[in-house]
Amino acid sequence: MRKIFLILSYISTALSIVFTALPFDTLAFIPIGLATICLVITFIKSDVNLRVWPKRLFIITYLCAAVVVVKTAFFKDEVAVDQQFEQQKIETKQEAKKDLEELEGLE
Amino acid sequence: MKKILFTAVSLLILCSFTPDDEVVVPSGEKLVYAGSYNMSGLMTQLAQVTMSTEMVTTSKNSYLHLNCELSTFSKWDKFFKMRDIYESYVNPTTLKPSLYKRSIDEGGYTKKEKYAFKGNSVTSTAKRRNKPETVRTFNIGSSTQDAISLLYKVRTLDFSKMKSGQTKSFVIVFDEKEIPVTLKYLGTETVKAGNLGDKSCYKLSIGAKTDALKGKDKNLIWLTADAKKVPALMKFSIPVGTGQLTLTSATGI
Repeated sequence: MRKIFLILSYISTALSIVFTALPFDTLAFIPIGLATICLVITFIKSDVNLRVWPKRLFIITYLCAAVVVVKTAFFKDEVAVDQQFEQQKIETKQEAKKDLEELEGLE
Repeated sequence: MKKILFTAVSLLILCSFTPDDEVVVPSGEKLVYAGSYNMSGLMTQLAQVTMSTEMVTTSKNSYLHLNCELSTFSKWDKFFKMRDIYESYVNPTTLKPSLYKRSIDEGGYTKKEKYAFKGNSVTSTAKRRNKPETVRTFNIGSSTQDAISLLYKVRTLDFSKMKSGQTKSFVIVFDEKEIPVTLKYLGTETVKAGNLGDKSCYKLSIGAKTDALKGKDKNLIWLTADAKKVPALMKFSIPVGTGQLTLTSATGI
């Protein structure tokens, strides 16, 4: 039983790192929560001398949670200035003006 | 994502009841929304949607340019970059469309559409990535509009006399065909409306004969219950999940 939960702890901690690194915001709390549950069970079921890795994984998971909280609280979502998109908007407007004048000519 | 945008636009659009042709949509208005998608029960912000208006003049006429654009937040650009533009050129007084254009770029999938309105017919030109351009001319009803112009038209309408549960049918042009839609008035609720603060809003439910929308009364829009009728919040339910657009900034209203 301990081994199963230890494996699950490794997997969910790895997912926590991935979700924290990717821009998933609070969605990262799902693997973090899962990792925490698995680690608590693993920790309880482990002998004192076998609690080294669960402790290490606890620290990693805790750090992931801290990073997610900081990212969510202090980093504002922004749209990047996209010169290509800005140019596209200018061009589409010019084309539209031409199309409208063509439509007016047909009336 | 196309479905999400369609749903959001439809939600905004399909809310007309009693037309009031005297009301004019202001030029220079800018509404900014944060688009979120429900991932495993948690709302994750994906994109910014900006709706703006401005006057455009040709040698013969003046048009109101209604523009709706979507851009993913920079943090998502590396994974799934989206840059969409939906725009309509309308009569500033009647909001009848003359030209509707749509340009989407979603994770590399591109599509451009153009609809030229002439009386009761529409000539559509569509170009998808790696496919030849298609041109179609089809007839439309006298009250059929494009999605964007209808979106603005509904904001000129009077909801104050509506009764909860009352419905109305509409038709819009989307994806090179007419799509019938129904709207149900669900009363008023107070919601957060960005820099406008907490506002009393008309709550409306939308249904459309399309696979893009899912569930009964799960596609909702809240319009501020004042003369501006600013869309403050939109919630949508589509086959791949649920999401919402929340107003973050309203200027020039």
